[in-house]
Amino acid sequence: MKRDFPQALHRLESWFAANGWQALDFQREVWRAYLDGESGLVHSATGSGKTLAAALGPLAEWMEEGQGETAPALRVLWITPMRALAGDTVLSIDRAVKGLGLPWTVGLRTGDTSSAERARQARKLPSVLVTTPESLSLMLSNGNAREKLSDLRLVVVDEWHELLGNKRGVMTELGIARLRAWNPALRTWGLSATLGNIDEALERLIPRIKPGSDPALTPVCPWSVPGLSPERRVVRGVSDKKVRMDTLIPPEVDKFPWAGHLGLVMLDHVIEAIESSRSTLVFTNVRSQAEIWYQGILEARPEWAGLIGLHHGSLDTDVRKWVENGLKEGKLKAVVATSSLDLGVDFSPVERVLQIGSPKGVARLLQRAGRSGHAPGQESRVTCVPSHALEFVEAAAARRAAMAGRIESRTPVDRPLDLLTQHLVTIAAGEGFDEEEMKAEVRSTCAFRDLSDAEWSWALDFVTRGGDALKAYPDYHKVVRDEDGRYRVKDAAIAKRHRMSIGTIVSDAAVNICYMRGKRLGNVEESFIARLSHGDNFIFAGQVLQFLRVENMTAYVKPGKPGSALIPRWDGGKCPLSSEVSDGIRELLELHVEGRENEPEMKAVARLLRLQNSWSKVPKRHEMLVEQTQTREGHHIFFYPFEGRQVHMGLSALLAYRISRAKAQTFGLAFTDYGFELISRDRYEMIPLMKAGLFSTDNLLEDMLASLNAAELSKRQFREIARVAGLVFQGYPGQPKTNRQVQATSGLIYEVFARWDPANPLLGQAEREVLERQLEFSRLSEGLRRMAKTPVLLRQTHKPSPFAFPIMVSRFREKLTSEKLADRVKRMQLEYDDASDVTPSQDGIQLDLL
Amino acid sequence: MTECSVAGEKLVLLAERVAYWPAKGALFVADFHLGKAASFRSAGIPLPSGTTTENVERLGRAIDKTGANRVVFLGDFLHSAQGRAASTFARFGAWRESRRSLELTIVRGNHDKKAGDPPEAWGVRCIEAGEALGPFILNHEPGASRGGYALAGHIHPAVRLSASGEKSLRLPCFWFGARYGVLPAFGAFTGNAEVLPRRGDQVFVIAEQEVLQVA
Repeated sequence: MKRDFPQALHRLESWFAANGWQALDFQREVWRAYLDGESGLVHSATGSGKTLAAALGPLAEWMEEGQGETAPALRVLWITPMRALAGDTVLSIDRAVKGLGLPWTVGLRTGDTSSAERARQARKLPSVLVTTPESLSLMLSNGNAREKLSDLRLVVVDEWHELLGNKRGVMTELGIARLRAWNPALRTWGLSATLGNIDEALERLIPRIKPGSDPALTPVCPWSVPGLSPERRVVRGVSDKKVRMDTLIPPEVDKFPWAGHLGLVMLDHVIEAIESSRSTLVFTNVRSQAEIWYQGILEARPEWAGLIGLHHGSLDTDVRKWVENGLKEGKLKAVVATSSLDLGVDFSPVERVLQIGSPKGVARLLQRAGRSGHAPGQESRVTCVPSHALEFVEAAAARRAAMAGRIESRTPVDRPLDLLTQHLVTIAAGEGFDEEEMKAEVRSTCAFRDLSDAEWSWALDFVTRGGDALKAYPDYHKVVRDEDGRYRVKDAAIAKRHRMSIGTIVSDAAVNICYMRGKRLGNVEESFIARLSHGDNFIFAGQVLQFLRVENMTAYVKPGKPGSALIPRWDGGKCPLSSEVSDGIRELLELHVEGRENEPEMKAVARLLRLQNSWSKVPKRHEMLVEQTQTREGHHIFFYPFEGRQVHMGLSALLAYRISRAKAQTFGLAFTDYGFELISRDRYEMIPLMKAGLFSTDNLLEDMLASLNAAELSKRQFREIARVAGLVFQGYPGQPKTNRQVQATSGLIYEVFARWDPANPLLGQAEREVLERQLEFSRLSEGLRRMAKTPVLLRQTHKPSPFAFPIMVSRFREKLTSEKLADRVKRMQLEYDDASDVTPSQDGIQLDLL
Repeated sequence: MTECSVAGEKLVLLAERVAYWPAKGALFVADFHLGKAASFRSAGIPLPSGTTTENVERLGRAIDKTGANRVVFLGDFLHSAQGRAASTFARFGAWRESRRSLELTIVRGNHDKKAGDPPEAWGVRCIEAGEALGPFILNHEPGASRGGYALAGHIHPAVRLSASGEKSLRLPCFWFGARYGVLPAFGAFTGNAEVLPRRGDQVFVIAEQEVLQVA
């Protein structure tokens, strides 16, 4: 049913005009489509007006319906992946509400929301609520959620691309499915950066029914029946925003290192670049690099103290706020940042972005580029700053892919059963559910549309019986079936614990860092702390700290001794080269070999590539270079598939495993984004090995699982699954330890399942996640297939080639051995308590496990 | 089985995670944590069954290998009050019935104090920490005790072993210092915590089916 809203739309336009703006075509398109009852997905560069495109439709609708002087209850639910963005979204919508003179209220609800505000919201929700997927889930776990959300018209999912590839995206899908079941006329709009798989992003958010699905779905999910499906569309936002991409090329490229990424070789050039712009954002890939560059710039330009800032996730909120405001107001000349500034409000004064080190992916580089050039008439500008020679090639490859529109996809998560069990408990804790209705609702999401009956039954049994139907535990009563046939959580303690765990599940839990005397310094990921032993030194927020112990999600530290200290590494640093960029690198190397290079970066490294060619060879696109050489370390075999570090980790283990099957052997493995090496005591002849099927894709899955110590990897992956499925409960800082007797590490739970319930689907899920997410198994098998059928250039070099050098010094190393555990123990040394002469040794013991 | 000398007495260490004292026919077992999986289940955490069966079978195996006539539990025999599940208790009760002549002693640990003593029908003597048995003082929490060499559990000790260029290993251990010794946690569903022994301590790790001295 199409209606006209001339009056309301006119008011929107006048409000724009009053602010000296002009509504953009895509914004008008979204308003109209919303008013016509449609849903959709808007994709566009950051900061191009997507917020107002999505937020103003419901305001126009309300004005047109002429609904009076008091604020309506919740009409618009705005889901954002980052708490940091939520505050700015509220301000931006609130300004529009006030500007249009409407009585609407705009509120915020995240993990940080005060209890006073929560209480106010418990009485009446604001007209627009900005929240996170976790907070939506929490709302659904309350008994009165349906009533409170009854007048909801619109769900907006902001930065949908950030959620699409992970379980929080699935959590969002499940939450929206519930909202639609309550309110079939609900409209959904997604806002996203440009992606390689924008159609899939749309389908995930606003799914259509699977052809041939059970017609019994109809009463539950009318929106998903053909004909009743919502109209939906993809709206392309501002597309002609100019992005200029280039690379800092120093005159003395020949002296450039082949490896190492922490060096400040380009410092002078970076300073020059900063000087030439009004305001510059300097992005690094990891936090440690950000600290190093910030210090380096300050040392070179002490007069810039107070004019440059540092921004990363471990810094105190106040410091970050100060930096953000400084950027907004144009007071800062430059800010060195990590992915903590990838998203967020616009900083109009920023004219230029510098990317230190590998850009890794096209989407990431474009996202960062989009942080600059917001002033009217300006273009976005990003400049890559290579930190070693091959990064020149990488920068050129990323630019070419961006220009050609080859942007990475985000692969959504398929059927995560851990999240399904969590969602079932969430809804059971809320208004409860009927089995058939809930099954249909879950299957109405894209993530679970292929959920089998067996999987569904397992999940329901898991939360109701504690195991499959054959094993019923009388003491287990998490979710119970009531007399009326609905499933509910009856035990208040279980419901409370479940609600508390919803918020902490998906990302790696953050551990507070505190001095023994109590001063809090910030937080780090639990996985980093898990690697530390009592007495280890590490660098945090520019200081050396000594780790003492962990208690209640708090790591206690004291000032450490400078020297060899660990630096926390974060996910950003682990991100591997995307296949779009690696494909571009192979293409550029071929152009070089054929003498057809015309990118400035390729000219800069031409002499270095010629050196590689004279020692060994530069491979063409469909060639596979393998080098063998000998050093004091042993015999090295180098392979260069250019498939990214994760794939190389898998491939190196696979090849080492296949070679060592014939004869027990220990291999050292090392890998980078470009290639990998195997080091061994013995020399191997490659040609017979290849003839015997070294690169074969037969039995690939079995060999892969056998080679990688898959159990160890799955156990690590199980951490997240155990948290999501409610198998571990961690408690919170400062919270009484009431749950101590039911605390165990996810590793321990994994072992119990692996031994006594090996067929548990959650273990299968861990293995699948390891393969798909950590090892990029499909990319790995594709790479292997390519290796098997492309010509191999086998070269014996008298010393490691320029390509080999970065791999040899890589910090990513592993060992693959077929020795017995007892034999390994016999070679090893016990770690003693030599460090602490003051502390008795038992003081350092972590007692959390007991 | 690996022999060692502690407080002038011969002890035999088994990969079953127990220490046997041949002179008195006594088997020392720390941190059995009976009913731990059951207490997780009652809190809504669905763990598979099998841990109790494994525990009693392993204990039985250790008794058969050594010919022990008494077992001393060095604390935390029971995990929690919520873990006193009927099926778990039935399983241990049946095992006890099949080994009626065995003398059982429990040193009450921090968990036992909250969980309570086991059923009277099992015929277990429950004592407070500090009782002497020959040169040994039977304890739960590690620390020096007056009047003898203390045997304890409580901390579920493990040590880290490393070699250059290799992934380090973390293995549960027996740890005998100058004045007290700590046994590895026995229970199938117990974690461990890393300890840092001092030079001069005796340390034995459990590497699958073997007990190996590393210090």
